[in-house]
Amino acid sequence: MKAYAILLLLLFSTLTVDVTALSVTVNDVECVYEYVLYEGDTVSGNFVVVDHDIFWSSDHPGIDFIVSSPGGNVVQTMKGTSGEKFEFKAPRSGMYQFCFHNPYSTPETVSFYIHVGHIPNEHDLAKDEHLDPVNVKIAELREALESVTAEQKFLKARDARHRHTNESTHKRVIFYTIAEYVLLAVASGLQVVYIRRLFSKSVAYNRV
Amino acid sequence: MWRSINIVTLIVTLILRLLASSQLVNGMRFDLETGATKCITEDIKINAMTVGKYSVVKPVEGFPLSEDDRITVRVTSPHGNNYHYADHKESGNFAFTAGEAGDYMACFWTPKQSPEKSLSIDFEWKSGLAAKDWSKVAKKGQVEMMELELKKLYDSVTMVHEEMFNLRAREEMTQHLMRSTNAKMATFSFFSLVICLSVAALQLWHLKAFFQRKKLI
Repeated sequence: MKAYAILLLLLFSTLTVDVTALSVTVNDVECVYEYVLYEGDTVSGNFVVVDHDIFWSSDHPGIDFIVSSPGGNVVQTMKGTSGEKFEFKAPRSGMYQFCFHNPYSTPETVSFYIHVGHIPNEHDLAKDEHLDPVNVKIAELREALESVTAEQKFLKARDARHRHTNESTHKRVIFYTIAEYVLLAVASGLQVVYIRRLFSKSVAYNRV
Repeated sequence: MWRSINIVTLIVTLILRLLASSQLVNGMRFDLETGATKCITEDIKINAMTVGKYSVVKPVEGFPLSEDDRITVRVTSPHGNNYHYADHKESGNFAFTAGEAGDYMACFWTPKQSPEKSLSIDFEWKSGLAAKDWSKVAKKGQVEMMELELKKLYDSVTMVHEEMFNLRAREEMTQHLMRSTNAKMATFSFFSLVICLSVAALQLWHLKAFFQRKKLI
């Protein structure tokens, strides 16, 4: 941990979190924690909900997303969404909590990505003489690149979600069409049988 | 075997996506209830190097963890092969080169305790270019540091570039599927019409023959 801490000070590395997807179940809250080192850091990220099985029912209404600061205050809330991007400036340093809440009974898988970015400012420049204004520019460049990467992950997750939907649509088209053929044939067969019975002598003599 | 052992009410699946840059000081942290299983899945490309590190967070600093607060970790490949297994460990790490492309799953389990509690677990999982160990590449001095930073940026850009190709390929597959669905819908609708008409014609023909036999027509 010590070696990493020193590297962090010297190299102004950004704290990043692996993208994680959770499947949140009945009335359940799944939380992920991320440590923000500096006050004023920009925390950005995105999340996408992937439905497990959408063969019979319609799309899941969405899940709730709540970000809490170390003090317990709610920093951001998003309700009933199936995939969104978020960004906020951390009001203080500490352990932030990112929670997903699934209000419905169907389990969901959530793919998310959180990135904590720090750009050294004049205060940091003054504190450490090893720092160069070039480092600030490099940090800004890195942040810009991270935003591209974040966008890519968002697109990849959304593409996965769309692929699930498309595959489900494909299966449903085939299933419902074949079912339609079978039902049509059965219905007309039943009609014929019924009409024949109406005219048969064994049932209520000359009822028609 | 995992499934049969860990039948719990809350089964949470965690899917991990690839991380662009390295330098993870703290990875992700999540809670694991005693007796519950949580799995993290990551999509790893073939022949990609991957590195993972996990540890149980001490609830009180300085005090050692109790004997019960141990986790069992298993990493499996998309085809079910076992790549890493650790039993009743406080912390550990794993590293391997992916033999198959697809979703690799790292599952965590902790034995049930009588007062139900939840352990916090720190977990880091990097793969591909992000798994490169920059501390080995780093040298002393300031200019080299800047060079290191720029090297990292270059790696990031390369990953972005590769990812664009992957995205494009996936989008093409989705497009192909949608077109095939569209074509299938057209053929099936046509057949639906054909079947409808033929069924109606059959009905008419059959009933006509029936009534003629019954001497009603």
